[in-house]
Amino acid sequence: MNNRTMGVIAAVAAAIVVVGWFATRSGRRPAVPGEQVMATADVQAAALRTYVKPGDLDEYYLFYSGGHSGQVYVAGVPSMRHIATIPVFTPYPGTGYGFDEETKAMLGGYTWGDVHHPALSKTNGDYDGRWLFVNDNANNRVARIDLRDFKTKQILGPIPNTMGNHGSSMVTDNTEYALVATRFSVPVPQRYEPLEDYATKYKGAVTGIKIDPNTGEMSIGWQILTPPFNWDLGATGKGPSHGWAFWTSYNSERATGKLEVTASQRDRDYVAVVDWRAAERAVREGRARRISGVPVIDPAEVPGVMYLVPCAKSPHGVDVDPSGEYIICSGKLSPTVTVYSWQKLKQAIDSKAFTGHEDGIPVIDYDQVVVMEVPVGLGPLHTQFDGRGNAYTSLFVESAVVKWKLPPYEPGTDPESLILQKIPVHFNIGHLVTAHGDTRNPRGDYLVAMNKLSKGRHLNVGPSLPESSQLIDIKTGDRMTMLYEAFTEPEPHFAQLVHRDVLNPIEFYPKEENRNPNAIWSPQEARVVRNARTRTVEAWVYAIRTYFEPGRIQVQEGDTVIIHITNAEQQRDEIHGFGIAEYNKNIVIDPGETKTVKFVADKYGVYPYYCTNFCSALHQEMQGYIEVVPRGMRLTMYDNGEGEMRFERREPALAMAGHEGH
Amino acid sequence: MEDTMQRNTLRAGLLVTAAILVAASIFLPLWGMTLVSVQYPEGLRMVVYPTKIVGDITELNLLNHYIGMAEISEDFFVELDTLPILFGVIALSTVTVAFVRRWWAAAVPLAVMAGTAIYGFWSMSRRLYEYGHNLDPTAAIRVEPFTPPMIGEHVIAQFGTYSYFSWGTFLPAVAGLMVAYVLWSDVRSRGRLAPVRETRPARLLRNPLGVEG
Repeated sequence: MNNRTMGVIAAVAAAIVVVGWFATRSGRRPAVPGEQVMATADVQAAALRTYVKPGDLDEYYLFYSGGHSGQVYVAGVPSMRHIATIPVFTPYPGTGYGFDEETKAMLGGYTWGDVHHPALSKTNGDYDGRWLFVNDNANNRVARIDLRDFKTKQILGPIPNTMGNHGSSMVTDNTEYALVATRFSVPVPQRYEPLEDYATKYKGAVTGIKIDPNTGEMSIGWQILTPPFNWDLGATGKGPSHGWAFWTSYNSERATGKLEVTASQRDRDYVAVVDWRAAERAVREGRARRISGVPVIDPAEVPGVMYLVPCAKSPHGVDVDPSGEYIICSGKLSPTVTVYSWQKLKQAIDSKAFTGHEDGIPVIDYDQVVVMEVPVGLGPLHTQFDGRGNAYTSLFVESAVVKWKLPPYEPGTDPESLILQKIPVHFNIGHLVTAHGDTRNPRGDYLVAMNKLSKGRHLNVGPSLPESSQLIDIKTGDRMTMLYEAFTEPEPHFAQLVHRDVLNPIEFYPKEENRNPNAIWSPQEARVVRNARTRTVEAWVYAIRTYFEPGRIQVQEGDTVIIHITNAEQQRDEIHGFGIAEYNKNIVIDPGETKTVKFVADKYGVYPYYCTNFCSALHQEMQGYIEVVPRGMRLTMYDNGEGEMRFERREPALAMAGHEGH
Repeated sequence: MEDTMQRNTLRAGLLVTAAILVAASIFLPLWGMTLVSVQYPEGLRMVVYPTKIVGDITELNLLNHYIGMAEISEDFFVELDTLPILFGVIALSTVTVAFVRRWWAAAVPLAVMAGTAIYGFWSMSRRLYEYGHNLDPTAAIRVEPFTPPMIGEHVIAQFGTYSYFSWGTFLPAVAGLMVAYVLWSDVRSRGRLAPVRETRPARLLRNPLGVEG
């Protein structure tokens, strides 16, 4: 072979090698915008900041909404450990919620709810640790949890004229009101109108739930009828803006059908600005109509109650900064948050700087009230604060939290210069919460990002995945630093992050506070009484370590059985359960508590009842039997089948010895 | 004489190799794009072959629909029907040139190659432009029209993107250089391309009607 041939072959070979090198680069992974890798030193620092050693307590309570699980989850921060589940809208056999007569009545036949936005009660704009309010987006309810015992105490609703209570349950500075709003407009009052008439015959509503300052008891204060926009999130004024409430809307197009397109056509939707003192006054002065038993205000007839201000496209969150001077609206489909000045809003309202109206509700001149459109990034949803002049906004599309500077701004400030830092989160953040982040005095140390997708950042648990939450330090070095992540069941929306010093829960129910007429405090008081005429057996059962008195209850097949159980313990964590096999009942009674369970003994035989909540070494022995005597067969423990049931009473000490000796 | 024989062998070798490279490219990826974001750390891929488009197309279409981008579907790409034919024509004509020792013969496959390359790149830039510009005005999210980059690393919204050409483009390019070399060499040795032994198919190609002249 001559040199030229060799040369050509070599050139071809070289070309293939070069090409091959380029071609194999096709698998290369481009960099994730903003991606950060934790260095070893960062990992160590984060571990130390989140480690709570056995026996030590977390600094903060984190109250997560449980979404369509219908519950509230309690975790500790900084450890992120799940501590408890507070059942609210869904039965929960773990604490017997929804099985006893009282909680069953509270649930009103519903077996689920959709908890979105928990709100702690406030005094002077700060958390006072008394109550936690949560909304039900599905069945239009609001519930109150008492933080003295972490139990749901009241469920209000379904609230009339409201459908899809999403923009809820934010509370005002002194817990005067909790907010409620319609997300899915329907005809008001509820009736049939064809969907074609949506824009004209369907209505939305925003509502103030009045809260009794002493008992926390909720009732409907006022309701304002609105055009059929989809009300999204709400916020209450603080300081100078106290007395006002705000809600974002999407679908100001009043569209139906494929909303992802039809409700995304206008470049701006509205924020509602509601003077709730004026609403209160209108109701007092009789300027409200009763619709479905609720005082309803038509804002076209009662001027001064409601205004609208345009806001960047299809907004989600509206949030009021700690000073109460700036209102921030996150335009989900616009890469900006809109910052309004309260002072300018008030001036515009007072000077009637309106550009038009929607069904008689004045639309405020946007240009007169906006301070800045801050270019935060893609998919801004919700904003919280640190009390040091910074805001933190969740970016759903970008999967990040952005930190930016709040006003006041120098004239001519470059909007881009307001963006201070971005940190990626995993993945697709919805809401975020900072410590005391919606009060007048945020603590500014922790931020929890509530991410909608976890996408396998945990051990693989199959296709049904939990949600991920990430803890971010926002204090050290005045920067955001990723610390830790944890997983919850579906699906935290918003949360409240409150310092442990604000709360002061009890350890058990003191005997002297038990006002239940069916409470009994000694085995001698235990009794079973049958009424043959009404075919009812009523039992007063005493529960203590480790027996139930009586250890048997005899009933006739078909009898209605009512059992009142008192847990006579006065010791922390001595909880007793009362489960009845094959009768689908389980109630759990905390120390010092009395609960009632009711059922019809519709199948004969002998069914054990037993303690379901592990209580002591002889927990397994804590049991008894319900004897269901077939129809027509004689009851052996009663005289003539009625009156008081005879059974062998045990002296407390003997009973304990005898029972446990088996 | 020995030199001529060796030259002819090299010529035939280059042309057959070039034909094989082009023919193989029908089954190799031409171009691809990888998109990575925080929530897609494993990346979303789209890889274009002469005959098909593979990768996370469903997910990409789902994301694209929010900004009103048209659906990416094999059904809309006439290129996927024409490119394999063009590649086949190039491969066959290149092989044929090995048997037709005319100084101009290599210009035929080379011209088809150049035509295919122009058609390919024009078509691709047109597609990228159209996908980024013909956005449905009723889409939920409105973005400034853009052209997805043909090559290199870029940032589009929340995505880091990497676009690259692959084997199916590079190998035909090498084949093109090889055929170009043959043509250059043939032109230089014009008149001295003595057929050592003309094969039947070569004769047929040279004189299909069998008219002796």
